[in-house]
Amino acid sequence: MCKNMPPLELAIQFHGHVCPGLLFGVRVAEFAQQKLGVDADNDEELLAIVENDSCAVDAIQAILGCTFGKGNLIFRDYGKQVYTIASRESGRAIRIAQIFGSMDSTESKRFRQLKSLTCLSPQEENELEELLSVLFEQIMSKPVNELFKWKEIEMPGVEKAVILPSIECQICGEGVMQSRASTTNRGLVCPTCRLEGGVNYNV
Amino acid sequence: MCEANVYLNKGGQEELFMEKVDRIIPGEDQTLFMESIFGERRRVKARITEMELVHHRIIIEEIREDIAEPTLEIWLEPETDHGHFHEGEEVELKLLRGYNMKPANEGEWNSPQVWVINHNGTRKQADLHFHDLIGHIHLGSETDGLLQVYASEMGQQELYAKLLIEVGHRHHHSLEPIGLPLEIVPCDNSHARMGESFQVQVLKAGKPVAGKEVQATFASTNNRNYPHVMTTDEEGKARLFLTARGNYLFTVRDDNITSTFTLIKSF
Ligand SMILES: [Zn+2]
Ligand SMILES: [Zn+2]
Repeated sequence: MCKNMPPLELAIQFHGHVCPGLLFGVRVAEFAQQKLGVDADNDEELLAIVENDSCAVDAIQAILGCTFGKGNLIFRDYGKQVYTIASRESGRAIRIAQIFGSMDSTESKRFRQLKSLTCLSPQEENELEELLSVLFEQIMSKPVNELFKWKEIEMPGVEKAVILPSIECQICGEGVMQSRASTTNRGLVCPTCRLEGGVNYNV
Repeated sequence: MCEANVYLNKGGQEELFMEKVDRIIPGEDQTLFMESIFGERRRVKARITEMELVHHRIIIEEIREDIAEPTLEIWLEPETDHGHFHEGEEVELKLLRGYNMKPANEGEWNSPQVWVINHNGTRKQADLHFHDLIGHIHLGSETDGLLQVYASEMGQQELYAKLLIEVGHRHHHSLEPIGLPLEIVPCDNSHARMGESFQVQVLKAGKPVAGKEVQATFASTNNRNYPHVMTTDEEGKARLFLTARGNYLFTVRDDNITSTFTLIKSF
């Protein structure tokens, strides 16, 4: 992969399409990089706490290198456009919150409306393309202070990713991390078997 | 029949367009206004092709907007898709004719010519051969630096096409206009990227033209027409925010002259 790929390109490649949510995430990630004076994460140096699971989070993952798999992306299901980005190296953290309504415009309203439809007429497809390019410019050119509020905060106390050994589930025979297994009268059982009946529950 | 589902015929495929429609009002300008029992409203430029009342189905078909037979343009495209050529790489270009970056599939070429201007201003005619109406230009692998390539075709219309190619990196010196009767000059020849602005200047007989319409497009547009139309300012400049991947085409017309400029970009 090209090392000098611009942040926007990294994000689009990772996410697969361009949408207003992703672009907002690009602005957040770029701002955090600039404020914290960091580049993309190499090994869990950066930490991101995201309070939603929208398209924007993909930009955080692609640009800042805080990923679900590395454990330095923490998801709090609060349904808020709030991102806390921290640098473990410098011990600095920044909390970025979207200003309520800052992403709203007549174009964004219409864009969402068209997006919610299953089948678009060719005219509506053209309209969607035009709206996306208008929104694209709006989001990428808006001054940061009209887009979100931010403040430096105390470094959030988050443990580094812990990996424990796996044991075998007594029902399905699949491996499960020790800390996730439950003790039942059939022995240690994985969450799939305990909660959802499991892969081979009837066997 | 109380309400019906409306299906849009998209190239032989029927797609559910709107559910439980209880009102359809044909408008002027060939549109249909529809309202569903959920209060959803849509207007579409379409005609009803079939009503199966027993099955509560209405099938509609798009009405194609008539683009007044557009004046075709010619444009150049690189064979590469990564925005520049590497040193020693074969530089190959295409010359196309069509509209809005969509090549026309008929028509004859009227002995077009292609010229290359290298970084020290030397002009040389390039070989051009045709294959299925597309011109192919091989500049070889010995080229280096920033090259300006232009093509012209003289008929009832004077058609020009221009393109800049960068072989190797680090070429950021300024560019001279090449002197076409109508010419689009990029204001900045460093790497243009999606998510950034790009500015061009329009020159007519070497002088900036104010208030001129410049159209711009990109290969992946859905639109049959040019998606962007700008007007030049008092310095003859127009600015576009790049929102699509890949190359852009800028087109300007004046009387019987059409001149294009292809912006090559990898992203
Ligand atoms: Zn998205
Ligand atoms: Zn199990």
